[in-house]
Amino acid sequence: MRHALSGLNAWLVQRLSAVYSLLFIVYLSLHFLLEPPGSYEQWQQWMRQPLVSTASLIFFGALSLHMWVGLRDVVLDYVHSPGLRVCLLASVAIGLAAMAAWTARILLG
Amino acid sequence: MRLSIFRFDPDRDRKPYMQDYELVPEPSERMLLDVLVRLKTVDDSLTFRRSCREGVCGSDAMNINGRNGLACITPVSGLKEPVELRPLPSFPVIRDLVVDMSQFFKQYHSIRPYLINDEPEPDKERVQSPEERAQLDGLYECILCACCTSQCPSSWWNPEKFVGPAGLLQAYRFIVDSRDRAGAQRLDDLNDPFRLFRCRTIMNCTEVCPRGLSPSRAIEKIRLMMVKASL
Ligand code: SF4
Ligand code: SF4
Ligand code: FES
Repeated sequence: MRHALSGLNAWLVQRLSAVYSLLFIVYLSLHFLLEPPGSYEQWQQWMRQPLVSTASLIFFGALSLHMWVGLRDVVLDYVHSPGLRVCLLASVAIGLAAMAAWTARILLG
Repeated sequence: MRLSIFRFDPDRDRKPYMQDYELVPEPSERMLLDVLVRLKTVDDSLTFRRSCREGVCGSDAMNINGRNGLACITPVSGLKEPVELRPLPSFPVIRDLVVDMSQFFKQYHSIRPYLINDEPEPDKERVQSPEERAQLDGLYECILCACCTSQCPSSWWNPEKFVGPAGLLQAYRFIVDSRDRAGAQRLDDLNDPFRLFRCRTIMNCTEVCPRGLSPSRAIEKIRLMMVKASL
């Protein structure tokens, strides 16, 4: 078993996505605390700035990868029947991919 | 002194039970193992392993009041009574406090616990500098008692696939040995989703090691070496 997201790579993805998400959440909280958008339009405008939308896109990407590694760990720990394991991993992967795609559509749309 | 000890004889008992004992320790019986040895003179069916009685052979590991340790170096004074003794958690019980260590040693052997070096042999020996030798401190002292692995949740869930803290400490011991030449293969062998990366840094292993060693730190160092090697 030596595919792209095995041992070390999965671990690195978990750490790096955690760091990025943490930084992004801090940035987001500070922004909303110091310069809260006055209206929906203002908020949308802010979100449409290329830097902000790219950063959010990366954030949701990182979040999905982080969730994948975490949920995969739970399945690998506790589910030992190979069939059930594959089914669960597949549904987690499909669910996360669908959510990520939907988020990207909202952010880019 | 009151004790409550896990009993199970597969030939006679349908299921395990706890048996109560009471005795007054002699002044010379300062360690838990001394008390067990005396209990055995009263009830010779009580079964446990022991050999060196001074914390170097690793055979009398057991669960003492919920925590793994070596009976021979656990002082009787200060133990909460009744002292509850159970076999090492998650290991198959053979009888009473004696467990089957096959899986544990299988994982240990899987890390190839010996020097690998195909270079021509020097006349006398493969010399190590004092600094190189010092790298092995905190690693070579492991007595393979299994206190750590038996208390590691990741080993409970995947004992066949996760090497476990004791095996990984030894893996690191050979990776950092200046005389070994198989470091890269050793790292590669541990890089899959199970052999090392089931470890969640829960640190039960370090917490419980009766020799004061730190498998979790060794695991962390192996991870860092993998990161460096992959750059
Ligand atoms: S690391 Fe400590 S607890 Fe684990 S087997 Fe070695 S001596 Fe025992
Ligand atoms: S640090 Fe890792 S090896 Fe040690 S007890 Fe926790 S999961 Fe097990
Ligand atoms: S009897 Fe040898 S370690 Fe306890």
